[in-house]
Amino acid sequence: MIGMNLKVDVDPRRIGVVALRVIRQLKRDRRTIGLITFAPIVLMILFGYALSGDMSGVTLGLVDGGGHDVLKAHLEGIKDFNILYLGSESDAERLVSEGRLNGAVVLEPGEVRVLLDATSIQISNTILAAAQAGAQEEMAKLLESLASLPSQGAKSGDMSGDVNLIVTRYLFGYDLEMMDTVGPAILGLVVFFFTFINASISFIRERSQGTLEKFMVSPLSRVEMVSGYVLGFSLFTLLQSTTTLLVVTYGFGVPMRGNPLTALAVVLLLGAGALVLGSFFSNFARSEFQVVQFIPLIITPQIVLCGVWWPLQSVPEFIRPISYILPLTYAGDALRAVMLKGAGVADILYPDLFALGVFFLVFFLAATLMLRREVG
Amino acid sequence: MASDKSAQSPAVSARGVDKSFGRIKVLDDLTVDIPRGVTYCLLGPNGSGKTTFIRAIVGMLKLNGGDLQVLGQPVSQVQTIYSRIGYMTQHKALYPDLTLQENLEFFAGLYSIEKQERERRITDLLDMVNLLEHRHRLAGDLSGGMYQRLSLACTLIHEPELLLLDEPTVGVDPRLRQTFWDYFDRLTSQGKTVLITTHLMDEAEKCKIVGYMRAGRMTAVGSPDEIKRLAGLKPRLELWLKEPEKDAARLKDLGYEIDSVDIAEGLVRIRLQSHDRIKGLLEEVAPLDMRLKEPTLEEAFLRLSEAA
Ligand SMILES: Nc1ncnc2c1ncn2[C@@H]1O[C@H](COP(=O)(O)OP(=O)(O)O)[C@@H](O)[C@H]1O
Ligand SMILES: [Mg+2]
Repeated sequence: MIGMNLKVDVDPRRIGVVALRVIRQLKRDRRTIGLITFAPIVLMILFGYALSGDMSGVTLGLVDGGGHDVLKAHLEGIKDFNILYLGSESDAERLVSEGRLNGAVVLEPGEVRVLLDATSIQISNTILAAAQAGAQEEMAKLLESLASLPSQGAKSGDMSGDVNLIVTRYLFGYDLEMMDTVGPAILGLVVFFFTFINASISFIRERSQGTLEKFMVSPLSRVEMVSGYVLGFSLFTLLQSTTTLLVVTYGFGVPMRGNPLTALAVVLLLGAGALVLGSFFSNFARSEFQVVQFIPLIITPQIVLCGVWWPLQSVPEFIRPISYILPLTYAGDALRAVMLKGAGVADILYPDLFALGVFFLVFFLAATLMLRREVG
Repeated sequence: MASDKSAQSPAVSARGVDKSFGRIKVLDDLTVDIPRGVTYCLLGPNGSGKTTFIRAIVGMLKLNGGDLQVLGQPVSQVQTIYSRIGYMTQHKALYPDLTLQENLEFFAGLYSIEKQERERRITDLLDMVNLLEHRHRLAGDLSGGMYQRLSLACTLIHEPELLLLDEPTVGVDPRLRQTFWDYFDRLTSQGKTVLITTHLMDEAEKCKIVGYMRAGRMTAVGSPDEIKRLAGLKPRLELWLKEPEKDAARLKDLGYEIDSVDIAEGLVRIRLQSHDRIKGLLEEVAPLDMRLKEPTLEEAFLRLSEAA
């Protein structure tokens, strides 16, 4: 075909030239810089607080194997706790894992076991503290009653060992404190949203400014151009996600149990995907204003279907396949695994990182191929 | 380059080039040779296909037919010689959110120009386009004409052999325009080729060769003088006379070609066969005032397009 300048040679220096330019432009865009700092705060408040209607109510399972009436009474006396009485420890385990209980206490004559949801540390701490306080109360009562008996020394040692034997077991539940669940997703969402919008607008400008036409008539290849954009935006994404990460963890107390670098790697891959997607979609918009019209099409489904606000299992089955092609679904999953469960790279490699990688490659190719078509 | 066999070929050679957008034929059997080492002006009204032709030269369009060679290469191979071509688009391709320096650095970077050399060229070019003092301003803060000048500088940064400038002097003041032309002369004296499009006649007058384009065809090609001659245009003499009617009749009898007589103004317009005939005319009549009007390129093209 005449005029299809299919150049495949790739020179890292030219990629660097494009990246440097992109960074210089982004650096100068004060409004974007401000937005990436404040957007996560606003979104955390919006999603974190607004969606967490029952943050004060802790649902606690209680398996009463007998022998700890004082401790039991103590737990029952706590106003914030809704107690659910269960028949067996395995029931309790299941319900905690499913997220229907925030935790459970299993009372047995020789041992008290506390089942906790490791993914929401604050609630776990509350439950543990309550169990310990109850145990102390029980102990005090025991000592009191033992004081009236003749052979107190030997017996008290026996009993105190009994009550102090609180065994904690951590389980991983789904239904975390809203703030914590939302935190990792907000990180993904903010990066995805801004990269997508910024990239679409940048590419539309390249076209309307005529700079794209100039590129086409230079030794710069399309692969180099898109790569340069990916590189430049990645540095920006790094800054943006670090900011968001700090806001989310320090400002809102969302845990970071895994390696923050793993989380950043996930975000970088997601950002790269958002960039090439933006580049690809810029071909279908004529103006910067039309980019805004992509938001309901590209961004909203991701927010709704990514499985953050409600589990994917509750998404109707015929819509669910869409969830599984959206990058935010995988990024959200990976980020939650890293931040809340301390997952490493190996744990999120498949399907999360794999899916994000495939998404990036597919749209990198699409974006590159689309670049050549725009001039007659 | 001198040993390159293709160096003998024209900078651009088009044979029967056709290009349609949908059902609209924009380039219609276009045939033209643009020799090397000249400033060639592609003149034509808006919509005549000038920009389309330049885009065809840089390989951005799929042609419907014809043969197009650029610097001795078929246009299908033009991407291999992009580093030898400088293309200034009609919509001035710059980054308004970068400084002048950064814009130039960026375009220099695309051509892998070393830092020291790059700085030297940036300084030289900013000086040429008279923007040196604005070096660290944002391009977006420049006026229209300044923007234009920066765009030209960005196009020249890699010292291309073939310059394709699409309406480069729109909004540039006449004095600076002259600077541009002097610079183009310098480039052509080095053997480089400058192809300029314009819809302004006075611009075309300054070029070595003018190609007049109309509805996707070249209707006339030549130096400005040649084109005027081709159009059969003669200089015109305007005479203010006491008795215009009587004098006009007498001059007509003497074989002068009377163009028009304005009795109220006392004005008689005459077309001269040649400038030699002015002397003889003044022996016959004694005008109160007179004015000689040379034919303009505009008239020439008007005439040519009427004939076509
Ligand atoms: N990409 C395109 N798609 C459809 N029509 C086009 C395109 N580019 C140019 N044209 C049409 O081709 C004609 C010539 O345009 P152009 O080459 O820009 O003229 P000029 O540069 O001489 O003003 C115009 O009628 C214009 O509308
Ligand atoms: Mg044009």
